[in-house]
Amino acid sequence: MKRSLLKLAIVAIAVAPVWAAEDFKLPVSLEKLAERATETVDVTLDQSTLALASGFLSKNDPDEAEVKKLIGKLKGVYVRSFEFDKEGQYSKSDVDAVRTQLKGPNWSRIVGVKSIKGENSEIYILKNGDQIGGLVVLDAEPKELTIVHIDGNISPDDLGRLSGHMGIPELGKAKKNKSDKTPQAKPDKDEEQSEKES
Amino acid sequence: MTALLAATRSIAVARDGPSALPAFATAVETHKAMVYSIAWQFLRDRIAADELAQDVFLQLHKSWSRIESPAHLTFWLRKVATHRAIDAARKRKAQAESSLEETDEPTVLERVHDSFLSSYLQRMVASLPEKQRSVIVLRYQEEMELEEIAKVLDMKVSTVKTQISRALDLLRGKVSRRLGKGTGQ
Amino acid sequence: MTPFEEELRQALKRREPAADFTARVMARAAAEDAKRNSGFWFSWRLGLATAAVAVLTLSGGVAYKQHERSLKGMAAKRQLLIAMRITGTKLQLVQERVKESEQEAQ
Repeated sequence: MKRSLLKLAIVAIAVAPVWAAEDFKLPVSLEKLAERATETVDVTLDQSTLALASGFLSKNDPDEAEVKKLIGKLKGVYVRSFEFDKEGQYSKSDVDAVRTQLKGPNWSRIVGVKSIKGENSEIYILKNGDQIGGLVVLDAEPKELTIVHIDGNISPDDLGRLSGHMGIPELGKAKKNKSDKTPQAKPDKDEEQSEKES
Repeated sequence: MTALLAATRSIAVARDGPSALPAFATAVETHKAMVYSIAWQFLRDRIAADELAQDVFLQLHKSWSRIESPAHLTFWLRKVATHRAIDAARKRKAQAESSLEETDEPTVLERVHDSFLSSYLQRMVASLPEKQRSVIVLRYQEEMELEEIAKVLDMKVSTVKTQISRALDLLRGKVSRRLGKGTGQ
Repeated sequence: MTPFEEELRQALKRREPAADFTARVMARAAAEDAKRNSGFWFSWRLGLATAAVAVLTLSGGVAYKQHERSLKGMAAKRQLLIAMRITGTKLQLVQERVKESEQEAQ
């Protein structure tokens, strides 16, 4: 009895991190930022709503046709974007609430760039075999905070195709990185500290 | 003739002359898009805008005898629709309702390029403060002159000018930041 | 008018209410008229007006449900396209920042 319980516990421990790692949710704490924002974009599209939307995308419009191809394998698309009229309207803890969820073994930060103007951009992907099972884009600027979460299978080529449409200049082809090889500016002390603490 | 049809016909007010008022039903049919669109710009909800537009026309029906001319009719409808829409939008804001229906609404896209700018502009107009939203809707949706807008909104013409200028600056700035577009001033 | 104002004018073009809007307004106006003039002679008129509103509402109801679904679908589509646009823009922005960072490092 004890052995079977022990086996069950081991299996549970092995499996649980995977579930926890995949289960990214936009923190509810972000919603309060809308009160301070001059402009808020709030998009929540689950699988059924995506399917509904897909039915209304036109095959004859090149942009819409591209999006239709992209969303076929997706489970959800979520965007929270807040624009403020002055700096300091959101805190590091607001951003950390997002980052904390992306520290699991199956999430990889493939891009992290920080500029001297205080703009901090990160891209995380969820590994799902040799596919990307999810994508999070986190863009923190002095007067703007944007988080995009795309849940579901999306290939780097799909992402590359997203640009070059809808008025966005074309990206170079995205590479599949196993590790973060992208050069980045020195992380600041606060970021290093919070990484140590988590 | 059914009693309902008779009742409907009794509602029609026929007056003679070239500047004669149309029958009430014709007035509704002619101006329904105008009233509905004003309501929608403030409420961003098709059902709520429909209800508000109906209420405006029912109020017109009660006040029909006071309408003097087709021009007065148009002015009256714009004034009542705008003021009712502003009040309704304030109430909704206080109740903090939020749903998918309140967000983007399909538009008839006549321009092939950049439907996204059009959609984005609609959203940005909806996010403007009330006064600015009112002047922008009356100026660019209803294509009214500044003096007419001032009368509808009980404002000075100089105030209307200032509000339009501020609203345009705000909109241009947002479009330029968000969509990275030149605003072709 | 500047090009931007023209874009604004296009974006704010009037939209049509549901096809049965006028019919519904007329039915309500008739009902209110009948109510205002209520009395024995007009009570049956009110009954007819009410019945007319009910018929219009029922037949309009089915069409309205389909109309509502179409509206929800179009609204979802709009949200999706905005989301994709923001995603693409942010990815582009990140790429530009990476390039700048590489150039600074050289």
